[in-house]
Amino acid sequence: MELLRPSDLAELDGGVFVHGGTEVVPLLQDGLLSAETLVDVRGVVPRGVEGNVVGAGTTLGELEVEPGIPDALREACRLAASPQLRNMSSLGGNLLQATRCWYWRLDYPCRLHGGDRCHARDGEHREHAIFANDFCASAHPSDIAAALVALGARLRTNRRELAVEELYRLPDEGDRRTTTLEDGELILEIELPEVEASVYLKAMDRKRWSFPQVGVAVAKIGGETRIALAGVAPIPWRIDTIEALDAATPLPRTEWKLPLARALVKRALASLG
Amino acid sequence: MARLIRTEKEVEGRFEEVWIVVEEDPLEQWPAGPLEVVGRPTTRKSGPARVRGEARFTADLRLPGMLQAVVLRSPYAHARVKRIDLAPALALPGVRAGIGPGEAEGLVEEAGYSGAAVAAVAADTFRQARAAVDAIEIEWEELEIVLDADEAVRREQFTADPRHYERGDVDKALAAADVVVEATYRTQSVLHNSMETHQAICEWTGDVLNVYISTQFIWGVRDAVASTLEMPADNVRVVCEFMGGGFGSKNGPDEYTFVAAELAKRTGRPVRCALTRREESTAAGNRNATVQRLRAGARSDGTIVALDGEYTNAVGWSGWNASTEGPMKMLYDCENVRTTTYGAKINTPPMKAFRAPGFVEGTFGLECLVDELAAKLDMDPLELRRRNYAVTNEGTPISSKDLEECYRLAEPHWERLHEVHSRSELEAPPGYPATPGGRSGGAVWKRGVGMASQIWYGGGGPPSYAWVRVGSDGRASVITAMQDIGTGTRTAMAQIAAEELRLPLDRVDVVLGDSARGPYASISAGSSTLPSMGPAVRAAAADAREQIEDIAEQRGMPRDAPVHEVVDLLEDAQILGKGARGPNPTGMSVLTFGVHVVEVAVDVETGEVVVERVAAIHDVGRIVNPLGASSQVEGGVIQGIGHTLSEDRLLDPETGRVLTSTLDAYRMPTIADVPEIICEFVDKPDTHLTNLGSKGLGEPPIVPVSAAIANAIRDATGADIRELPISREEMLRALERAKEKERRGAPAAV
Repeated sequence: MELLRPSDLAELDGGVFVHGGTEVVPLLQDGLLSAETLVDVRGVVPRGVEGNVVGAGTTLGELEVEPGIPDALREACRLAASPQLRNMSSLGGNLLQATRCWYWRLDYPCRLHGGDRCHARDGEHREHAIFANDFCASAHPSDIAAALVALGARLRTNRRELAVEELYRLPDEGDRRTTTLEDGELILEIELPEVEASVYLKAMDRKRWSFPQVGVAVAKIGGETRIALAGVAPIPWRIDTIEALDAATPLPRTEWKLPLARALVKRALASLG
Repeated sequence: MARLIRTEKEVEGRFEEVWIVVEEDPLEQWPAGPLEVVGRPTTRKSGPARVRGEARFTADLRLPGMLQAVVLRSPYAHARVKRIDLAPALALPGVRAGIGPGEAEGLVEEAGYSGAAVAAVAADTFRQARAAVDAIEIEWEELEIVLDADEAVRREQFTADPRHYERGDVDKALAAADVVVEATYRTQSVLHNSMETHQAICEWTGDVLNVYISTQFIWGVRDAVASTLEMPADNVRVVCEFMGGGFGSKNGPDEYTFVAAELAKRTGRPVRCALTRREESTAAGNRNATVQRLRAGARSDGTIVALDGEYTNAVGWSGWNASTEGPMKMLYDCENVRTTTYGAKINTPPMKAFRAPGFVEGTFGLECLVDELAAKLDMDPLELRRRNYAVTNEGTPISSKDLEECYRLAEPHWERLHEVHSRSELEAPPGYPATPGGRSGGAVWKRGVGMASQIWYGGGGPPSYAWVRVGSDGRASVITAMQDIGTGTRTAMAQIAAEELRLPLDRVDVVLGDSARGPYASISAGSSTLPSMGPAVRAAAADAREQIEDIAEQRGMPRDAPVHEVVDLLEDAQILGKGARGPNPTGMSVLTFGVHVVEVAVDVETGEVVVERVAAIHDVGRIVNPLGASSQVEGGVIQGIGHTLSEDRLLDPETGRVLTSTLDAYRMPTIADVPEIICEFVDKPDTHLTNLGSKGLGEPPIVPVSAAIANAIRDATGADIRELPISREEMLRALERAKEKERRGAPAAV
């Protein structure tokens, strides 16, 4: 395996991108990802906050103490992972992390791996999805993604601009990917709109260093209230109102997530007044 | 004079009769209370070496020319090897040797669980060995699997014959009882997750096999390796200088040792076989899951008249049927007790002893049931426990029992319940945001207090030996081939020797961790290290002291002259003392006791349980090092909180594979989950127990944690907790059940 360290975007030519390495390196070690060429993108991805633009190379650790960003994003960063991981992991990389579904992580031939069944649906799924879980019951693990979706943030890549929401897609029979990112496409910056108020609430099964059982981000933007959830669907999940939770399709052992999501959405909405 | 006796030996609640040679132990116990060194808070002797990274653990060792071994493990929960071909593996770069089923102890042809060891390869690097294992060609014949313990019981598929016990007439007593409570409790399987994974390095020097191993029992490894490999026992040298945790899972050599020994023999080079973190989740043992169907009957005055328990231990493919029924038999003075304990043989990874095996699980069931009984009797749970106080252990006298004193010390903590109940439901625990969107404007935090009692063994026993060497520099070395498994053993042994020799602690060293450098020493399991080894060390120090006193007298000095003044003319001569652990008191049970009082806050909308305060009170005889003892209690409580709230080893119900094999999926508590922990000790020597009067404390503090938390939750919310872990899922379900109960008219707090 070769490691490239480009200093200019123009040098990018294939390979697997790696920034903090907190996700890519374990996936490589586990054989869930293979790479001939590893491309350390730290030299080409902007880092730091300028106005309402956040470099995708900014670490979660930097963002959790950044006063100039919306509360939901800062809280999502603060409540993610452990201090060691937050000091390494980048905002852009966090948005692209794979599910924690144990079947996927243990390389069961599940639908996300191109197989023909979802092992979690029939098996052990107590941490899995309550929405859009028919094809694949995995739950999206990113606190930050839910926060950015609620905030209506936009991404700039080396090829295009898009809403964070448009970064994600539900896997289906024809295409098992959960993002719309193309080969060689690299997230560079995140643009945040003007936000009146925002909040991120997270339920874990211990106080720290855990992926969300349910994470709820709510933002008030120009009179609109936007709600997005982590840990409830294969991708960050947007709902328009709290009543939309009634449309959930929990599995037998994920039913408990519904009252939990309801309580957190109610609290998040109330805290914004 | 040496004396041959037949005595009962207990480890982890299992008893066997053994012949031992004991030596007279004429020493009187020291007076109770803090002495010069013993009984004083003492920082760890190995602390500086540990924090500087100088302490050498087995995992740190790299011998010259050492090869790395990797084990091929069964992906199937039950399968037979039809054909195996190591040749493709042996052809790969760096690979030096490979072995298959039957070629080392523990490599099997019939895999009874996913993770069973089948073959192994040694290579220059770990990576090469892993690639080689992947290249082994193997054909499996899949066999039927049974994963459900109740199903195994129905099929009478047991690891050992079911165990029945009865005293009195339970059916009659239940029929005559004023109140009967009945419930089924379930506990999950949890993993030890020692920081240092299971591992050994084996190196042959001529006929001698050197085994460097992370172990709780140097001499047990020596004897098991020697007998398995049919070698003279003294040709096996076992070394464990520093040890990174075992919790009961490192009592024997296991397959990794035999794999390393065989591959070392075949290659003529040292071989290291170290489990990865993931193998640790499948092949290093676990606390087995249990199902407990329990009944209790009482008179309206609170006298418990009957206890009835049917216990199923989900043992796994192998392992032993732990005494889950132990607390029901031993904790209360009840005339009519009946238990049946099944050890279900299923296609899951084998259990291993895990910090008070059986009693942790059994105490959860029993002490929750007792609180359900208290609720039904409308009686104070502490009062109910006192009313059924057992003075003997099933009729056998107990060497010392100060549980009553524990209850007395618990009173101020228990009485806090009035203050706890009066706190506003709006008040979030520290670090939690207010909950403006919660019910009634954020009043979601219900608080409660719960308690549970603890009973366990912990008396240790003979044989165990120690030597003490005093040089003309006035320094003493305690020499014994025991292990310090991270519990502060070095410090406690040094304290005991320093006290006896009247030396300052910094003039006493402890040499341990090598079977070639000292006499036989006890296993560090079953809370036995201090009660087994401490008396031997004291006896050895006393032997040396008496010699020094004789010399003092011959020099015309007072017998109690300072040691360094007495020995300063000895030059190369040395004072050598030896000591042996005397026998346990005959006809008596040696037991440990305690009670925990726990305060919790429960967010009744999100099912979050926050343990806010734990008061842990224990009666373990004399406390040698109060600082080390409180560390033990804190560790036990924290491990217990993990067991109670978040840890859960999950299996795929279809394949029997462990799904939670990484530490992000298997959730142990972090420091953020640790509540305020208050440790108190009765600290009264057990006057019947050897020259020291100390019992063990390794296991007692984890025993009552889960029941005390569950009882606090019931106090807070009215919800009956019947299942571990108390995840949000279980908590929300229990709250729903409580609401349902209330709708049906029964009183409940929610």
